[in-house]
Amino acid sequence: MKFLTKINRNFFMLFAAMLLVICIAGYFILQAMFLESARESLARKSTLIQHQIEQTGKLPQFDPLSQVTVIPKPAGRLKPSIKEVELFNSHEDELEPYAEYTKKVFINGTYYNIQLREETIEKDDLIFSLGVALFLLLVATFSISFFVNRRMNKTIWKGFEENLHAIEQFNFRNNAPLHLESTHIDEFDRLNTIVYGLTNKLKEDYRSLKEFTENASHELQTPLAIVLLNLEELLQQPLNEDAFKKTITSINALKRLSHLNQSLLLLAKIENNQFSAEENIDINEVLQRKLIEFEPLLHAKKITVEWTEKAICFWKINHYLAEILINNLLSNAVNHNIPHGNITISTKNGEFLICNTGNKSQFSDEIIFNRFVKGDSKSHGLGLAIVKQICETHHASIHYEQKERHCFRLTLPKYQ
Amino acid sequence: MKLLIVEDEVDLLIAISNYLTKENYLCELADSYHKAEEKIVLYEYDVILLDITLGDGNGLDLLKSIKKHNVQAGIIILSAKNSLDDKISGLDLGADDYMTKPFQLTELNSRIKALLRRRKFDGSHLVAFNEITLDTDSKSVIVNKQRITLTRKEYELLLYFMINKNRVLTKEAIAEHLWEDNVDLSDNFDFIYTHMNNLRKKIKRCGGNDYIKTLYGMGYQFTDQ
Repeated sequence: MKFLTKINRNFFMLFAAMLLVICIAGYFILQAMFLESARESLARKSTLIQHQIEQTGKLPQFDPLSQVTVIPKPAGRLKPSIKEVELFNSHEDELEPYAEYTKKVFINGTYYNIQLREETIEKDDLIFSLGVALFLLLVATFSISFFVNRRMNKTIWKGFEENLHAIEQFNFRNNAPLHLESTHIDEFDRLNTIVYGLTNKLKEDYRSLKEFTENASHELQTPLAIVLLNLEELLQQPLNEDAFKKTITSINALKRLSHLNQSLLLLAKIENNQFSAEENIDINEVLQRKLIEFEPLLHAKKITVEWTEKAICFWKINHYLAEILINNLLSNAVNHNIPHGNITISTKNGEFLICNTGNKSQFSDEIIFNRFVKGDSKSHGLGLAIVKQICETHHASIHYEQKERHCFRLTLPKYQ
Repeated sequence: MKLLIVEDEVDLLIAISNYLTKENYLCELADSYHKAEEKIVLYEYDVILLDITLGDGNGLDLLKSIKKHNVQAGIIILSAKNSLDDKISGLDLGADDYMTKPFQLTELNSRIKALLRRRKFDGSHLVAFNEITLDTDSKSVIVNKQRITLTRKEYELLLYFMINKNRVLTKEAIAEHLWEDNVDLSDNFDFIYTHMNNLRKKIKRCGGNDYIKTLYGMGYQFTDQ
């Protein structure tokens, strides 16, 4: 729910409750006021009657609503009273409310009871008119607040909404700076300042982390080179079988470490968009060239390769990255294949598919591209992570499916 | 052959020069930009191995100075950065080859030899070992005066063995030399045996000796000892 809507809803509900209370209170107050005014006018009338009796000694004749009777000496004090009664009105054929004023007086040794009545306002009428007033007031308030809010949305909230959108679009990976409009509203401008501060801090941290990864990887390569060179020299000495095997195992472990390091460095560089020079790459050409390179590997595992579909397929990408991507996908298809298995390749406009036979894998589409996810192979588990990273930085998407075969479907961006 | 090795990491510098001295190169060492620049101006070299990240300067600047004073020298860049930009600008500035650390000494030796052959420093394009002679120009192999036909990979394998003769080579190093870093080989080296066996058969067929010695199933040595 929008902030304004929320405020309005609360405000409106509170306002409606208040109006209802006011109306109920108003009803009682108005009723009391009508009765009081009736009492005043009837009291005046009774005083006139009283004077008339005093002067004439006769009972005056009135309309049927007024009655003056001689009564015996009443008990208690002589006190006027007013109350509301309902009498049948034959004209309108219904009960009508009347204010009834009763006064007992003592004039010239006789007690009289003066009872005067006056028609008063109907309760239904009062409730109805109050209800109408309440409804009209609510409608008026609601529509006014609706229009005011719409205007406010366009003016006061516009800057805020735009800034929210800018923050939503902001991404550390592309280096575009965050730009927020000044709203000239203290709270929003304060929020802008805070967001600026936060993003700058985060950006700085992100950048230094990237730099650290890169520098650390570089710095690792030199000591690795020294150890590797010395081990290689050691291997040239006359060694017994045990020492020989240990040296070779150490060399191979060091090489794995070095490859891992280079792959991490490559990932960091792709994330940092350090491969900017893009050109239109013919995917078919790269695939064919790579397949020739892979020939000995394919031959050793007796894997056959088949093109099920071959259409023109171009991708605007850095050529070095294109080679790495195809290379890693093919490596994956070979390394996780079974002896005498096969690989099928299909290229279409805007999409290509590489499928291979192989044992059932435990990884799903969500997991397989994560870093350091590896099946039974001795690889470092970064090959497909690099593929995914390249796809992400080039607005392509890649998905993995496992049916009777393992398939990687790469969908190229639409603008091609 | 006179070599200059420019590398600010002294341990690495010594390891490289020890190996290359054994391979009968005359090595001179420089562990800083300053020292390297001095040597480049004063002396002439056949090959210069150049580290890009030096403590007191950038190897790429040194490259420009080499091109001015030591025109005939072949240059191999040794870099910890596997950076495409550095590689391109290095090669643009006139370097002949680019190697990423860590590299293997046998690989370095192969690259130096290849560079020397390209520049005809040896005065010969022939690599010989007893009855086997390899012509790097025509990429042909002669065993006992008989010409044998090898596939590209078999030829490269034989050349690698002959240049690094008597040295113990791991099968990983051989695989990497033949396919560089392009193929993620992981644990699959079976295909090397196929190439190795074909090569052995072809040489034997012409009456050549089998110089490829297998060491404990993990390494190889091309030797007549």
